[in-house]
Amino acid sequence: MSGKEQALQIFIVDDEPPARNRLRDVLNDCSEKLPVQIIGEAGNGREALDRLTDLPVDVVLLDIRMPQMDGIELAQHLNKLPKPPVIIFTTAYDDYAIKAFELHAVDYLLKPIRMARLIEALTRARNAVPVRSEVLQELSPAPRRNLSSHERGKIHLIPIEQVLYLRAELKYITVRTAEREYLIEESLSALEKEFSARFVRIHRNCLVAKQAIEGFEKGGEDSAESAGWMVKLKCLDELLSISRRQQHIVKEFG
Amino acid sequence: MNKARSIKQNAGTDVLPNFRNLGITLRILLISNGMGLLLALIQADGWPDVPQHIMQIATLLTPILLASMLLLWAIQPWLDQLGYWRGVLVVNLSVMVLVLATYFIGGDAYLPLDRGAGYFDAVRYVLLSLTVSGGLLMYFRLRTLALSRALHDARLQVLRARIRPHFLFNTINAVLGIVRTQPRQAETALEDMADLFRMAMSDARDLVPLQKEIKLSKQYIALEQLRMGERLSMDWQLRDLPDDALIPQLLLQPLLENAVYHGIEPLPQGGCIKVEMRRSGDELQIKVENPSLPSSGTTHHGNKVALRNIRERLDLLFDVEARYQVETGKDFYRVEIALPYVTVRPKLKERKS
Repeated sequence: MSGKEQALQIFIVDDEPPARNRLRDVLNDCSEKLPVQIIGEAGNGREALDRLTDLPVDVVLLDIRMPQMDGIELAQHLNKLPKPPVIIFTTAYDDYAIKAFELHAVDYLLKPIRMARLIEALTRARNAVPVRSEVLQELSPAPRRNLSSHERGKIHLIPIEQVLYLRAELKYITVRTAEREYLIEESLSALEKEFSARFVRIHRNCLVAKQAIEGFEKGGEDSAESAGWMVKLKCLDELLSISRRQQHIVKEFG
Repeated sequence: MNKARSIKQNAGTDVLPNFRNLGITLRILLISNGMGLLLALIQADGWPDVPQHIMQIATLLTPILLASMLLLWAIQPWLDQLGYWRGVLVVNLSVMVLVLATYFIGGDAYLPLDRGAGYFDAVRYVLLSLTVSGGLLMYFRLRTLALSRALHDARLQVLRARIRPHFLFNTINAVLGIVRTQPRQAETALEDMADLFRMAMSDARDLVPLQKEIKLSKQYIALEQLRMGERLSMDWQLRDLPDDALIPQLLLQPLLENAVYHGIEPLPQGGCIKVEMRRSGDELQIKVENPSLPSSGTTHHGNKVALRNIRERLDLLFDVEARYQVETGKDFYRVEIALPYVTVRPKLKERKS
């Protein structure tokens, strides 16, 4: 295949400058045995996401422990790109993550990084498929700090604390913030599990941020499914109906 | 290694309590008076009767207790050289002599009205006092025994928890990252790391000069700055620190490590760790403050291990004479420690048995 001659395009994400230095050095050493090309680097997750949106690469070498957005969350957002890169995680020491990696056969490199091991991982990356988002979710002990929505070739990060409610609609989930709506392609029950500390289910198709609840109003139609109670939100002039099965939350939060 | 450790441990158990230590004194006072109270309850026939019995017991107990403690305070250095069992004998004999002296000098004050003079009361008081002093000595012996095991554990913790593997591997990686472009800096970093690990692997029971611990902490910070660059800044406020002061080794460094790991690292812009140290009378005060991410509820586990370790060691070395306080603010975290200003190491280790 002609693809073999083409240099592997690599992007480095690490918050520590010397660690990026080290990776550059080792990658340069590799280039005799394996054609690689360093396309760019970033010091934090947000910057990496911005640059990788218009800069398709083959492989991202991604540090796990970074401030603001850790590597595993970044990987989940990168997965939404039209052509998601293969990710190789790097970590100095992280018991939890390493166990999870072994379990799911996700490739990772231990710092200090050795050339032989790097070449091995990069060679494998040529044929690898990106890690599935569900697996990534299991790798991280903490919920994400942002949701991400893919919109006209760009990825929008939606900080989770800005989300007022999540509502399932046909194939998508509507993410509502005070300013606008976004569409994401995830499952409502997975979101409920991941963010159980922040959201409460009020209806089969709707999760509301506990902090966004201002109060409850009686007013909706009373039917077999709806209890007639509505949630009033703090910064949005919109009422959300509570289902009969969930009406106990009126007592809990009222 | 194992052998050496167990020998050291044994040497520490047969040791009389230090009667000049505030914590020991407090414990003696509390326990003796507690037993007096109990005795009053046993003797009394009903509630109205209790205060009278308490008074009676206190008039005898208080002078004996205070006199004994004063005497023991005075002969402490001599007691140290006696060896454990002879020391026990001396303590009990002193108490007995003091009881008899108080009883006979005190005269009528200690004679129940309806009883004539006789040796019954004298014998009774001596036996009671010996029970109390014997019991207390036993309690202190068991306590040293329990604590020396804790000491052993604390020492092991130094290796396991004090310097995080996270730090070790990241720093090695960082040094590798600069070794080609800045070999000089890489050399210094490795030297600093050697010093740090040498300290971590030495005996945690030792006290070290304060200035040495400060120097080591600065070396540690230099290593972290190598990785984190401008994100980590320091504000050292060291005022009137005596040159001869000793502190438990690796007391300051783990506090800084916590501040870096839980405070500065999760902050995208980094921040400044403030260290304040000063001497105030007979005390050394240490304050470490770092900014922290508001409401980051997930990262406080590791914190506790290192801090509990420090607290245990302080308890062990200084008992109630050391204070320890943590304050968690909305966007900051502060640890304050006060410990006695010592210039010679407290006799925890070298006392002969």
